[in-house]
Amino acid sequence: MVGINEHRRKQLMELMEERKWDSILLYGQGWRKDYFRALVNVNYMGPYAAAWLSRSGELRVFVTDPWDREWMAEFVGTQATLVYDFEGNLPGAPAVAGLELMEARLVDPGAVSATAEIEELRRVKTPEEIETLRRACDLADRGYEYFADVIEPGMREFELVAEVEGFLKSNGAEDNFMLIASGGTEVVGMKPPTERKLEKGDAVTTELTPQVDGYYAQICRTVVLGEPSRGQRESFAIFSEAQQAAEDLIKPGVKASDAARAQNDVFRKYGYGEYTGPKYTRVRGHCLGLFPDETPHILEDVDYTLKQDMVVIAHPNTYLPLAGYMVHGDCLLLTADGNQRMNHTEKKLFVKEV
Amino acid sequence: MKRGLIAWDREALPPAVFDARLAKVRAALAERDLPAVVVYSDVARSNDARFLTNFMPYWNRSLVVIPREGAPVLLCGLSPRVYPWIRSVTVFEEIRPASKLAPSLVEFCEERGWKRLGVLDLPKMPNEVESRLRGLGVIDVSSQGLLEPDEAELAMRARAEKLTRSILEGQTNLGASILDYEFVGRLEREYRRSGAEDVVIRLSSNGKTPRPANGSILTDEYSVVVDLEYLGHWVRVTKAQGAHPGTPGSGDAL
Repeated sequence: MVGINEHRRKQLMELMEERKWDSILLYGQGWRKDYFRALVNVNYMGPYAAAWLSRSGELRVFVTDPWDREWMAEFVGTQATLVYDFEGNLPGAPAVAGLELMEARLVDPGAVSATAEIEELRRVKTPEEIETLRRACDLADRGYEYFADVIEPGMREFELVAEVEGFLKSNGAEDNFMLIASGGTEVVGMKPPTERKLEKGDAVTTELTPQVDGYYAQICRTVVLGEPSRGQRESFAIFSEAQQAAEDLIKPGVKASDAARAQNDVFRKYGYGEYTGPKYTRVRGHCLGLFPDETPHILEDVDYTLKQDMVVIAHPNTYLPLAGYMVHGDCLLLTADGNQRMNHTEKKLFVKEV
Repeated sequence: MKRGLIAWDREALPPAVFDARLAKVRAALAERDLPAVVVYSDVARSNDARFLTNFMPYWNRSLVVIPREGAPVLLCGLSPRVYPWIRSVTVFEEIRPASKLAPSLVEFCEERGWKRLGVLDLPKMPNEVESRLRGLGVIDVSSQGLLEPDEAELAMRARAEKLTRSILEGQTNLGASILDYEFVGRLEREYRRSGAEDVVIRLSSNGKTPRPANGSILTDEYSVVVDLEYLGHWVRVTKAQGAHPGTPGSGDAL
């Protein structure tokens, strides 16, 4: 579904009518291309791009890299305008999605933010978006299978990541967000790969997030090099139960806070409640789409009611003194009366024979 | 994205290099009678912070505060759980959590008693942060003249260019008649195995401008554009295969 998202165009026109906005500007920069790609799903390479849409449906696209211009035209149908900044190039005073991230020099003093409204529209996926996310989940599954296959003691963390990156790109990933950690109880979180050599007995965690045609899917799994220790098995059993608790609960109408609580209560039941807070973990899940960490986050203080056709990952990732930081999670599509697991990788503590 | 190796090569970039760079910034602060300058950093805009402190975030946003006197401080959007790792690859000793950048900076300035503050390239600061600093007495400090590449910087870029070119020389002729995804995957694997932190590869064929792989079979004639980040240093190298005329509008690192 690369190109203009016509469903979104219609949604945006309705939104403008409702809010009495004359136009909307969807602004993307290097880190957050998602606001732009919500309407014009083309992976621009310049530092910025913007899509301007009028209430009547007229679309103009602005790019900042000459190479993007020609490429964009193939998808948009009309020539994109090459600009250095938006000053003098935008008709009227649009409401801006991504206003908060826009460089100050580009911001009209009276600009209104449309960020929250656009994020809410994006949370509920169209059938085409769901299909794209299924393909991304499939690639995440295959990527993890490859990860668990090539990993071996003696390999450095960044070499393992290189192998997986090569695999994902060879299979059509546009990008990938990936964190990793290896070791034992000293490991308190994931980060980019280091030069550390993997050792027998290590638990190796990864959050693999390939992007396919703009959309990110994620899988979280843990693999042990060699026979897992009692602590690793005991720890994983808690993570598995917590993830399952969320999967059993999540459906339209359930609050994000309850999805988090269901996971945290499992840790509390085993006496590890203190490890569900910000000192040891970040979130118990999040939404996925054109950004790998879309809101709402699954946290006990997030008062948001989940809706049908949202895609969320429930991952009780945290540190436990039993075996260090561990991860486990899958993408879930909210259906009319429940959810459907979108990843198909076995839900287990992976073991690599060494 | 930055998911490759992030490290600090202390032989190539000894602490004295960063001391000298920071001294230049402090001299500019003294000239302007400012107590400190703030440098914005996120995953896609990390060059300024990296040049001054070797900090290159793989995710999230942060502010580097460089006082006129004393060590630089990182107001960090990342979790405190990764602070030991950040300390191991940067000059920072003091790192403070800052999930909300502007309020954290305001609080920090109040603590230090600063009534004025410089911001490196203020007009380029994200609106969300810049708008909340307006009452703080912030002053734009242009990066011009403060971030001029020194010998160490140029040497690192030369290393990055050499790495990029050597792999490209060995791989470019292997793309003909295969899926562009496959070709890009091979390059990506080689670069990241060699320590690249980030890689962006674009291909040009059939007279079209360079673009990411899209599932096409490469012909015998094409050109490759590689943007590569190695230990925080970006370079661009291009190479043509067969009789392809090269990539219009591109140039190699010099």
